[in-house]
Amino acid sequence: MTDKNSTAPAIAVEGLWQVFGEHAEKALRTAREAATNPEDFHAVAEDLMARGLIPAVRDANFEVKAGELFVIMGLSGSGKSTLIRCISRLIEPTAGSVRIDGEDILKANEKRLIDLRRNKLGMVFQHFGLFPHMTVTDNVAFPLKMQGAGKAERRKRAHEVLELVGLNGREDAYPRNLSGGQRQRVGIARSLAVNPDIWFLDEPFSALDPLIRRQLQDEFLNIQATLQKSIVFITHDIQEALKLADRIAIMRDGEVVQIGTPEDIVLRPVNDYVREFTRDVPKGRHARVESVMLDKTPDSMPDDPKLKVGMRLDIALERCMDLYEPVPVWDDAGNMVGAVNPAELAAALHVDDDTGGAA
Amino acid sequence: MAVVEEVSGGRGLDITRGAKAALLVLAVGITCRLLGAQFDWLVAWPEALTVPMTDWVGAVVGWFLSVFKPVARAFSYLISFPMEWVGAVLRYSPWPLTVGLVTALGWLIGGARMAALGFFGLSFVVISGYWTEGMNTLALVAVSVPLAAIMGMAIGIAAFEFPRFKGAVNALLDIMQTVPTFAYLTPLIVLFGFGPVVGLIASAIYAAPPMARNVLLGLERVEEDIREAAVMSGGTRRQQLFLIELPAAGQQIMVGFNQCLMAALSMVIIAAVIGGFKDIGWEVLLTMRKAQFGPAFLAGTVIVVFAVVIDRMSAALAEPREPQSKRVALGIFAIGAGVALWSVFAGWSPNGVAWLDGWAEAVDAGVGTFTANNGATLDAVKNTSMFYGLLPLRIGLADAVLPFTWGFQWTAMHSLMFFAASAAIGGLLAWRDHLTAGVVVVIAALLLEIGIAQAPWPLMLVGAAALGWVASGWKLVRLVVILLGLILISGLWERALLSLYLSGASVAACAFVGGVLGFLSAMSTRVWTVVRPICDMLQTIPLFVFLIPVLMFFQIGEFSAFLAICMYAVVPMIRYTRQGLISTPEEMIEAATASGAGKWQTMFEVRAPYAAPTILLGLNQTILYAFAMLVIAALIGTTGLGQSIYLALGQADVGLGVTAGAAMAILALVADRLVQGFAEERRKALGL
Repeated sequence: MTDKNSTAPAIAVEGLWQVFGEHAEKALRTAREAATNPEDFHAVAEDLMARGLIPAVRDANFEVKAGELFVIMGLSGSGKSTLIRCISRLIEPTAGSVRIDGEDILKANEKRLIDLRRNKLGMVFQHFGLFPHMTVTDNVAFPLKMQGAGKAERRKRAHEVLELVGLNGREDAYPRNLSGGQRQRVGIARSLAVNPDIWFLDEPFSALDPLIRRQLQDEFLNIQATLQKSIVFITHDIQEALKLADRIAIMRDGEVVQIGTPEDIVLRPVNDYVREFTRDVPKGRHARVESVMLDKTPDSMPDDPKLKVGMRLDIALERCMDLYEPVPVWDDAGNMVGAVNPAELAAALHVDDDTGGAA
Repeated sequence: MAVVEEVSGGRGLDITRGAKAALLVLAVGITCRLLGAQFDWLVAWPEALTVPMTDWVGAVVGWFLSVFKPVARAFSYLISFPMEWVGAVLRYSPWPLTVGLVTALGWLIGGARMAALGFFGLSFVVISGYWTEGMNTLALVAVSVPLAAIMGMAIGIAAFEFPRFKGAVNALLDIMQTVPTFAYLTPLIVLFGFGPVVGLIASAIYAAPPMARNVLLGLERVEEDIREAAVMSGGTRRQQLFLIELPAAGQQIMVGFNQCLMAALSMVIIAAVIGGFKDIGWEVLLTMRKAQFGPAFLAGTVIVVFAVVIDRMSAALAEPREPQSKRVALGIFAIGAGVALWSVFAGWSPNGVAWLDGWAEAVDAGVGTFTANNGATLDAVKNTSMFYGLLPLRIGLADAVLPFTWGFQWTAMHSLMFFAASAAIGGLLAWRDHLTAGVVVVIAALLLEIGIAQAPWPLMLVGAAALGWVASGWKLVRLVVILLGLILISGLWERALLSLYLSGASVAACAFVGGVLGFLSAMSTRVWTVVRPICDMLQTIPLFVFLIPVLMFFQIGEFSAFLAICMYAVVPMIRYTRQGLISTPEEMIEAATASGAGKWQTMFEVRAPYAAPTILLGLNQTILYAFAMLVIAALIGTTGLGQSIYLALGQADVGLGVTAGAAMAILALVADRLVQGFAEERRKALGL
């Protein structure tokens, strides 16, 4: 990784298809050939479904930057779990490519794949996937054992990661003796044992109750702040996605409908489907003043409510309640960097109250 | 046939699939009944059209066996060594040592309870005086179980790793389990020669399928997340399988091991009929033949004790448990060893202490007195069931009703009146929108008048095919017709009908008694606390032992066989009925209660329909159990295929043994598929 440019994507997914059914590969090829425009994946997917096949992932394209926390969000059946399994090659994708640090892992042979998994990839599962016949330590140390690490080294490293997830003291317990939250801590510790660069998390907190979920989300963010892994995180919970993500991909019926920052998703949904998701999200909490700054700064601005660039929209709006003219925006150093129209602040916050409010 | 009515009856005014099928069967039945007198071939399959299947199979299998014989004999020679060694160790170890060891083992497995079970169980064997015989049996089990376990493990893993073979493997396992146990033995005798090795091999073959099934099931049930976690940890396929998936499936595999042990024990005891080895099964058989019921009962009890100890201990292995103190186990073993040492000096008898000989004689005398005093009552029970139940079912009312038993002679006039009455009931049912039920009543009357063992073959064939059509579809019809056709042209048809009659009668009795008991157990926990241990016990006892009590009171004969079959086959019916009735989702019950349904209304309107698929599965098990026991019951006097298989065993007649065994398996298979078809249909209808 060191020899590569730091902006090079850690994961690059291109034209990825996962079609379930008999002779999927051939069917996909013929469907593409039959389509008037092979790029029109809607038509290809329709064609496949008409033949009784299930296109679970349809032409997915995205990149995950090094150190980025990339969340894939969608309802059950949207293909998000299938997608992460394609990227980790737990299932064989039907077409497309998945590059991890430039290497197309779909072309990797069995040996190379095992090697990658032993050293570079880690994964956390929704239902934890803990080995019931092993103690906590043995579970966490299992990937190290696969690496061929010695027993003493395994114990030492297991102790380290268990400390990281706050589970020291339970090393000799069996999974059945642990609570749900503790089990997922073990799952997280295990996935970090070999210190992987790429970290896959498949709905890691979905099986936990809300309080524990929030607690683990916060700890997860803390861990990520220090470790800076490249992460693909799956969830069906928009709040979780918005809270954790650097960028979010929204999936529907096997198709990635929008990719963007939490702010993009909340303020600039590409269609009604995405808008529907974010309807109940308090907009101001996820967007900053800079997202609604005007292109041109007006010459005269009589009022100055002292808006800052990184200020949340809801707080900014509070300060502009009685103002109608554009107001200046300042950066932390005290320089004016732009201007905001208070009316647009309000509009951004109520972006779908117009549709929702009418109902 | 009552199933047809239950499934398709009362669906509406249209002629349902069931009604169509029933009408067709009735038409065939009436044709056969009316024209049977003129055309013999309508009743019995013409002799000219039978093929000497038995001879052909005999020739082919015989040739096949002769090819493998040298290999088999070599194997038999090799395997006889470990068997001898294990036998010698078990026989010549002073029994206090063995008792101590088993008690210590029990402690390790399940604490004080299992330790007590081991101690008292084996102590009973010691005082029974059958220690040597018991140890000989145990030696056979001890060698055959590892064989079976390894074989089953390999088959299960192979079926899991190569899903393409799964269908084939499942079919093979089905065959291994439906072909009656006695039928295995004949070709094995030819292959391996007389002697205990045959019992060993037979029990290994018989015990492997449950192991294989459970290994496969366990592997399939490993959570997807666990499987994927192993992959993502970078394990090779072999590491995934042996380090993660098999251990994670451990409990299910232990369930398989438990079943494997029980099957092996059961088969070792059955294989004793070959003789040549002084084991406990032989002891039972010998005493039974000499009508020494006391010793037979005592030896049978020893078998049951073994079965209970082995079953409960290995079942405890499959339960999650906390580790027990090893020091206590060592202490127990040390005490055993100490007593053993002392006993050797004090004059240890390798045959146990035999304190119960007097007791056996007392039992013998007691039974003698009891049967002498109550002979009239017992005979009355037996004769009533025979003359008014079994016999009419077998040869039909027309032949069974005689002045000597019923007080009058059945005439054509009676037949007419009987048919008229059944037609009236059927018509009434049809008029009340239960057309299928009505037709089935008339068919049943027809069958009762003719007798199952004398039923015209077109009626039976079309009847089975019609059931297949209603249950599942044309594919099943094809299977049923081809398989039954094979029996028909092989000349074993009449014997098959006799077997069908006896198992049918037992299944009907079991369905009724088991259904009622299961229902009561579901309604009241108090009933279940009484019924449950009895069920547990009946399921643990090896088949063979069921013969002892019925013989004691009813002597050799069809009625004894009938009782033995019922005792064994009733258990699944009870269990599944109860299970089905109590497993209704709580929400459905609450919805019914909220709608104002009473306890009984809930039972009949909600619970019973929901339980139907489960109860049908219970019926299916009962049928398979009945067929399995039917062959064993041949020892105490049944006619039909079971008898043929038993005779073939005595004469080492491979052709007859294999064909009769196959015919038996076909009957079981056809019954199995039919009932499964109905259960599946019901499950689909309920959206399960």
